[in-house]
Amino acid sequence: MSDNNKKWFSLNLNFSKKQKSESDSCGCGKTAGGCNSGENNDLNQDDFIEAAVNASIGEERRKDGFEQVFDVKMDRRSAFKKLTASLMIGAGAVSTSCSMIAGEETKEKAQIDWEEQFKGNYKLMTDEEKQGTVDRLVRSYQMRTGKNISMSSKNAEEDVLFGYAFNISKCQGYMDCVNACVEENNQDRNSEMQYIRIHEMKDGKGFNFNESDDNYYHEVPAEGHFYMGTQCFHCDNPPCVEVCPVQATWREEDGLVVVDYDWCVGCRYCMAACPYDGRRFNWSKPEVPETEVNKNQHYLGNRMRKKGVMEKCTFCVQRSRSGQNPACVEACPTGARIFGNLLDPESTIRWVLENKKVFRLKEDLGTEPKFWYFMD
Amino acid sequence: MNKYILLRKWSGLVFCIIIMSSCGHKKDEYHSINDKIEAESKDYQGTSITSDGYIDHVKTIEITEGNHTFLIPERKSQLQSYSCMECHTKPLTEMQKNNKSYKKAHWNISLNHANENTMNCISCHSGKNMDNLHSLTGKQIDFNNSYVVCSQCHTKQFDDWKGGAHGKRIGSWAPPRASLTCVNCHDPHKPHIASKWPARFNTEKVKERK
Repeated sequence: MSDNNKKWFSLNLNFSKKQKSESDSCGCGKTAGGCNSGENNDLNQDDFIEAAVNASIGEERRKDGFEQVFDVKMDRRSAFKKLTASLMIGAGAVSTSCSMIAGEETKEKAQIDWEEQFKGNYKLMTDEEKQGTVDRLVRSYQMRTGKNISMSSKNAEEDVLFGYAFNISKCQGYMDCVNACVEENNQDRNSEMQYIRIHEMKDGKGFNFNESDDNYYHEVPAEGHFYMGTQCFHCDNPPCVEVCPVQATWREEDGLVVVDYDWCVGCRYCMAACPYDGRRFNWSKPEVPETEVNKNQHYLGNRMRKKGVMEKCTFCVQRSRSGQNPACVEACPTGARIFGNLLDPESTIRWVLENKKVFRLKEDLGTEPKFWYFMD
Repeated sequence: MNKYILLRKWSGLVFCIIIMSSCGHKKDEYHSINDKIEAESKDYQGTSITSDGYIDHVKTIEITEGNHTFLIPERKSQLQSYSCMECHTKPLTEMQKNNKSYKKAHWNISLNHANENTMNCISCHSGKNMDNLHSLTGKQIDFNNSYVVCSQCHTKQFDDWKGGAHGKRIGSWAPPRASLTCVNCHDPHKPHIASKWPARFNTEKVKERK
């Protein structure tokens, strides 16, 4: 809050306890603009809402449906009245938080909401700003649910470039990876969102995605079939990043292609641009039962998303950046999934790339996916 | 007239600068990801990220095979009744004769590994020294290094495992490397991994695609 060269406008509501003792002054700084400290402190919240509603709809209150919208006498005076009322409602949000009657927690919530609403793009944030937003999100979750989470804003490590290899001859189609991924990444349970798809393909037909089945339910491995997993390939030249109109998705230094869920406007251009079906969209508000929420989170990874934003595999950024294998790699009982640092000449992933016959999907597109397939 | 020539000269120069600067753009620095990996890993110094903390829950031993040195889980302390000599005090033939004076053991083990022509118990276990395994030529092999027994036949898998293409890392992708050994996934008495049902079925996907 204190730094002067902030990239976005901030509202200083001073919800700290110190302010409480100075009972006379409203905690609102000058930046707030709309704080009408004197008069509104006397109204409690219900009265205020009542007054605002009266002012805005007044006599149309008994009408409903489109009558309210179309059957309205509107002279100059009532138009001004309405305008003033809506302004008042806006100011009300601020005044509630400034008000001495509203609890400390309400104020803090309003402060957090404001800061979160008007924060900048994560990509452009300094480390302190990243820490700030992470702290706010943690506090906000705590206030809403009473539960504590830990959220990281760990940056890409130098000399790390993440890569992935998938052994087609080892995968048996058990889908343990899909299970682990959903649990690790707090994906919406209602719409059964899944980042990973396991395609059951017929032997001898090649990689024919049109004829393969990615939602089989029978004993596996099935006779005469092989299994191939797809997910976000974290392209080094990602087309999804190119098309994003608001730069809400980008390639990090360690090669991870990530999304700022708070900057995404949900236009789904990236979804259309991805040649690998790597991206998912939240058509509804994602919901995870409180007991199943993975509380080890990263801002760019598995933190709770909202309705109308894109998400996708991040190679479990919350795990991989701290040295752990992604959840799918850890869960695979066949060892078909290999993950590691492409820049480390001694790493196992490098051995696979140098000693096995590897290929990638749609290599000719020049997207340079960092996800290789190989066979025994 | 002079002005016009000057203008053409300058515009040509500006054009050249634009072309040259666009060539030096970082995006086109490498032809492919492989070039990039090769170039950027030349002066690889190592990172601060390690597997410490993710492999501590497993007791490991360090092995060196060829150019590869890595950790594998220690085995002997995980075996239910090691050392074997605690029961196997007499030669096998004698123990098998006197059914009543010895406790029955290993009754649940049936060998389903290759066929009878190729394998039986003493292909791996030593009748003389129960506490060790042995190779095809009778050399003693410690239970901790049981992968040496497997590698006699499964040479391709052994090569892949050493390099990291076969098998599974424990916990972390970072160095030092710790990998599971053969017997952590495969039961040496019946190494084939059974088929099972998928862990998940997506009912929403079915609805969407109707």
